[in-house]
Amino acid sequence: MSEQQISREGQVRRALSALRRDPLALTGTLVLAVLVVVGVGGSWLAPSGINEVDVDVMLQPPSWAHPFGTDELGRDVLSRVMVAARVSLQVGLVSVGIALVVGVTLGLFAGYYRGWLDNVLMRCMDVLFAFPVLLLAVAIVAVLGPGLTTAMVAIGVVYTPIFARVTRAGVLSVREQVFVRAAVSVGASDLRIMRRHVLPNIAAPLIVQTSLSLAFAILSEAALSFLGLGVQPPDPAWGRMLFDGRGFVTEAWWLGFFPGAAIFVTVLAFNLVGDALRDVLDPRQLTVSEARRSTA
Amino acid sequence: MSRTRFRLAGATIALMLAAVAGCSGGEGVDVDGNDAAGAGGVLNAAIGGEPDQLDPHKTSAYYSFQVLENVFDTLVEPDANLEMKPALATGWTTSDDQLTWTFTLREGVKFSDGSPLTAEDVVYSYNRIIDEKLNNAYKFGTVKSIEASDPKTVVVTLNAPTPNLLANLGGFKGVAIVQKANVESGEITTKPVGSGPFAVENYSSGDSIRLVRNDNYWGEKPKLDGVRFTFVSDPTVALQNLRGGEVHWTDNLPPQQVPALLDGDDPTVRSVPSTDYWYLALNQARKPYDDVNVRRAIAFALDREAITKAAKFGLATVNQAAIPQNSAFYYEYAPYTHDVNQARQLLDQAGVSGLSMDLMVTSEYPETVTAAQVIASQLEAVGITVKIRTLDFAQWLDEQGAGKFDAFMLGWLGNIDPDEFYYAQHHSDGTFNFHEYANPNVDRLLDQARTETDQAARKQQYDQVAKQIVDDASYIYLYNPDVAQGWSKQVSGYEVRTDRAIRFRDVALAR
Repeated sequence: MSEQQISREGQVRRALSALRRDPLALTGTLVLAVLVVVGVGGSWLAPSGINEVDVDVMLQPPSWAHPFGTDELGRDVLSRVMVAARVSLQVGLVSVGIALVVGVTLGLFAGYYRGWLDNVLMRCMDVLFAFPVLLLAVAIVAVLGPGLTTAMVAIGVVYTPIFARVTRAGVLSVREQVFVRAAVSVGASDLRIMRRHVLPNIAAPLIVQTSLSLAFAILSEAALSFLGLGVQPPDPAWGRMLFDGRGFVTEAWWLGFFPGAAIFVTVLAFNLVGDALRDVLDPRQLTVSEARRSTA
Repeated sequence: MSRTRFRLAGATIALMLAAVAGCSGGEGVDVDGNDAAGAGGVLNAAIGGEPDQLDPHKTSAYYSFQVLENVFDTLVEPDANLEMKPALATGWTTSDDQLTWTFTLREGVKFSDGSPLTAEDVVYSYNRIIDEKLNNAYKFGTVKSIEASDPKTVVVTLNAPTPNLLANLGGFKGVAIVQKANVESGEITTKPVGSGPFAVENYSSGDSIRLVRNDNYWGEKPKLDGVRFTFVSDPTVALQNLRGGEVHWTDNLPPQQVPALLDGDDPTVRSVPSTDYWYLALNQARKPYDDVNVRRAIAFALDREAITKAAKFGLATVNQAAIPQNSAFYYEYAPYTHDVNQARQLLDQAGVSGLSMDLMVTSEYPETVTAAQVIASQLEAVGITVKIRTLDFAQWLDEQGAGKFDAFMLGWLGNIDPDEFYYAQHHSDGTFNFHEYANPNVDRLLDQARTETDQAARKQQYDQVAKQIVDDASYIYLYNPDVAQGWSKQVSGYEVRTDRAIRFRDVALAR
């Protein structure tokens, strides 16, 4: 028990120090920090309102007054990109949260109890897995109607199977470990064993999966709103802004460029952090990365 | 297992066949384009979408009519000023009681397959629309009977005087004269036979529609050998194709680029005011929009100039009534100046505050989505929160039909007679009165003007209708858009028409 806790603290310490040492991961972390600040305080930090329509200043190129230019309705693109950060983060966090909670729960039960429950749950997951991610998300939104909430639910559903699989795979090996059998033999309940003994030991791959899924969820949200199935106008979303800017590529490149750049930077940041975390936490990658570090 | 393999094999063969067909199709086009025998050449026209079908009586898609305008004829047809001029009918007489119209048909008119077009074909075509209750049956609302007294004479008997009968019978190709054999064989949906300047040679779904010159055409022979319509949904691509020379003509131009294109001379881009109008409708079956003060407040709160600029990049004329300035029925009336204080006062009078309004728009017409955002910001200034609901068009129409909306924005295209502008939309029995407007005075005037044969009196009645509708804010009218089309320098003899009819009969192609 105590040994495990020490090892977990060790993991966290190793993760943090790895993030500090790896310049790419550090950059990613800093970008994410800025993103969170903008996402939380976007509407206060933004230089102007997101729906201040003024057609007299439509389609103005970037300037000091409007660093990212103005759009086809004369709205400040910088402000809209900033406020849209909240949407992207919100959708990312909530949908991955849904996928994490549902997927991990299903994976835990399937892997721990095995038998028919495992079969039923995992075959359901296989069915979901069989659909291309975006197609399934579009289908779900088509049924529930477009909007922010349905986008979050849809993306959450499509990323659930991957969490269920990762969890189940971990549980399958951990449940055979001696400390689990010991817990069973002293009469611990199933729920307690799953919570106290199994879950902590499969946390590492889940953390990695979460950080990578965040990137994909944000991309999916952008794709959905590009297709007009996410946040509805006039509320800003990066994907939607990209779509609206598409018709203006030759006259007003800034309409598409800045939201596109925002998506790019955000997804890259999540990926960099996710990669770094995997280097530290994934036991198979660990040896490689440590070997690399020791030779360096 | 074997079944799967068979199906896979079948799919492979189908793919190969399609590839072969595609190749030969491509060659065919090239041969046509380089055909030295015909000096006229084939004009390549890019339209924004594919027709749903080519039966003029059944389709309601503008894309279909872009093609069919060149394939079919009507008894009379609108000229450049939208006045009805002889086409298949060379003349007509009206009885003293205005209830019997006798049309004399042109001598020697043939369908493109060589069979003669007679009075029986006219009777068949009109009865088909009426009996099968097709889209345009309402244009025959006052028609009692249609008879062919001899092969060159059609007699139309009416229940009530119908001063706009000519516009009803010739306004557009939706009331075209079709061939019975063509309808009964079912070929009319893909290979219609008409009497117009061109005939449909080939319709390959998803790719193109090819027309060839109709050598049996009764009018002046077209100079072109043919027209090839392709479907290009992205306006930026259509413009690129026009500049690159793959396309000679398109009406699918990116609106934001049209002002600059109008100034240039290659490609030639022209725009004229259209007869379309775009409007905002408030659901008068719902509170508080049943209160005229609330509707008027919204009319005062809107800045039409800004809406028009955002939605059409200046390619439109602001109008507070429906009928555009170029019509003989234009009535100048603009009581709503953009006035936030006035709007607030009216809302106070109505006892309305903190209003949240659902505004339904459709992605099929992106200008409604754009305009809605401007409307939302303008109404916010008078304390109304607008929730924009963007739907696909099928769903939008369902919601409209079910009355499930506070407000919606849309347009009416291609109307000519004032009856078309007002009756279906604002009569309490009107088929498109989804916003539940009812004013007995307007009903009476609309019924009266419908059968008024004195043009001056009719104009006066419609002026009263227009004033009342604007005062009641039944529709809150926004603008009349321009219609912009572009063509390459090789093309001559083409004119943009206010009713959006695309006519290639007088066009020549320099090579």
